[in-house]
Amino acid sequence: MTLIALTVAWVAFLLGMAWYIAVLDGLWAAAREGRAPRAPLANPLYRCATILRQQSNLTEAPDLLNWRLAPALYAGLAGTGVALVPFSSASVLADLEVGIVWWGAVEALTVVVVFLHGWSANSQLGLIGAYRYVAIGLPVMLISMFVLIAAALPAESLAVPKIIESQRELWNVIRQPLGLPLFLLLGLSLSFRGPFNYADSADIAGGTAAEVSGAPRLVWEFARLAMLTAVATVAASVFLGGYLGPWLPGPVWLVLKTTAVLLVSVGLSHQLARISPSRMMTLIWTVLLPLSFLHLVWAGVLAL
Amino acid sequence: MNVTDIAFWIFAAIAVVSGWRVFCTDSMVRASFLLMLSFIAVGLIMVLLNAPYLGIATVFMMAVEMMVMALFMVMYMMNPAGLNPMMMVHQHRFSIAAGVFVFAALTGLIVVTRFSSNPVAPDAEVVVGLGKELLGDSMLIFETAGVTLLATMVASVILSSRSGRFGEADTGAVPPPLEPGGEPAGRQPEQASGHAHHHH
Amino acid sequence: MTLTTILIVAAALIGIGLYGTLSQQSFVMLMMGLELMLNGVMLAAVGFWSLTAGGLPTGQLLTIIAMAVMAVEMAVGFALITAVYRNRQADVTEGLTTLKH
Repeated sequence: MTLIALTVAWVAFLLGMAWYIAVLDGLWAAAREGRAPRAPLANPLYRCATILRQQSNLTEAPDLLNWRLAPALYAGLAGTGVALVPFSSASVLADLEVGIVWWGAVEALTVVVVFLHGWSANSQLGLIGAYRYVAIGLPVMLISMFVLIAAALPAESLAVPKIIESQRELWNVIRQPLGLPLFLLLGLSLSFRGPFNYADSADIAGGTAAEVSGAPRLVWEFARLAMLTAVATVAASVFLGGYLGPWLPGPVWLVLKTTAVLLVSVGLSHQLARISPSRMMTLIWTVLLPLSFLHLVWAGVLAL
Repeated sequence: MNVTDIAFWIFAAIAVVSGWRVFCTDSMVRASFLLMLSFIAVGLIMVLLNAPYLGIATVFMMAVEMMVMALFMVMYMMNPAGLNPMMMVHQHRFSIAAGVFVFAALTGLIVVTRFSSNPVAPDAEVVVGLGKELLGDSMLIFETAGVTLLATMVASVILSSRSGRFGEADTGAVPPPLEPGGEPAGRQPEQASGHAHHHH
Repeated sequence: MTLTTILIVAAALIGIGLYGTLSQQSFVMLMMGLELMLNGVMLAAVGFWSLTAGGLPTGQLLTIIAMAVMAVEMAVGFALITAVYRNRQADVTEGLTTLKH
């Protein structure tokens, strides 16, 4: 595949998956309220049109540069995450030798960008959302780094394609059973959904996005969906063997696995309740982080 | 000029300009993220220099570090949002002179020195080499760095904890005066609980 | 991109960092100056490693150590700032006068 074809596939993948998550969200919300969904497939597009028709809101003395840049940077980070993942053994947009490290940088920069988005609006609720997000987002990022290092151990490489190739015999989800569940929490945290929605939740009137409307809002909402897509794509590749699979061609397997991971993520984000930030901090530091250490030791012993 | 050169000059300009703007901006949060930008630009130059692991690890580390820095800014500093103009400097002319002098002296040395040329081979496995070095011959150095970091963590907790062997760390803390020898400025310390409340 | 240009960029970062360290009153801004100097040092180290050392692995190790030093500096620095703030309620260097008299 040429570079142009890969780029087109990359854009189509991001847009398609974002649409898929939005449809799933709509169906889930309708099921919870016990009503029949109205035009579930077209509803995300209607929502786009509605947001675009709104005026862009302005607060008093915002840091306009950062405020306008943050949604675009967030979407861009998600895009680079998807670009790391190969669609088949020969087609990867960003063939990075240290792909896993770059993914770590994407996670860290996401925390920065979300903080900037909440801070730069010069609004109280946005700042509260930003603070809560940093407190939860940083330790969750640590968990995911341990999990990813564990996945890199059997491959003896930091490159995503090599990690996929190391799963020809056995997928990492079986070899290292704790990895995928812990990594799914990262997806919920990076796109702040459900139990990890500390940034943009309803109790602070939308948090970092409380003051945002119009085109920046559209970019922000798309970026959240794109980031969840990126996490699911990386999860499908690192734990579920990515493009590996019998009978069907590689890209189809990747799409199938990604949609399955997304289905589970969306389900978790709608089914699990959110606990208060301080309790979540305790849970992360005293239960989840030690679990990820154990996971790393387990993976290390297996890889010996 | 090829693509690498153009990329290098762009990243170098970003690194230097954002590094300079760190000390000109009014907002302390903006200052820490400008410093992050400078580090990211240097990290990308490292990638151009065939050190992908070091470059991207710099980006990763600095994003986390500057995020924490921004939080500390908001906690301890006035004016984190930069809504008021601010210039908090001392010995300003001397500092400018020192900075310019060091830059000029180093540049002079760099220009007159003749460096040997032995570039890293383009197909060298630098990441593998680094990993083998870290956990092979240089393992003792690497582990020493790790133990140092652990000691740092313990030391920072001890230094920054409020309760200690000699009572609360902030007992009797009085804000510094605005003028030398003047009245303490700003917020007076809160009385410790359990004592009778009286205000000065 | 030659070693000379890389080192001049590193020298500029070190010069700006020194200016910040000497001129800033606030502790956190002062630490930013230190970090900027270390940034220049790391760039110079990688430049030397890449263009004159022929990819010797120990050269990369030096940069890793510089990063660890930076992390130590940050952590101890913030802990000291917290301790000073508790003791003196000061966030600027002028707030510390005990060593003067």
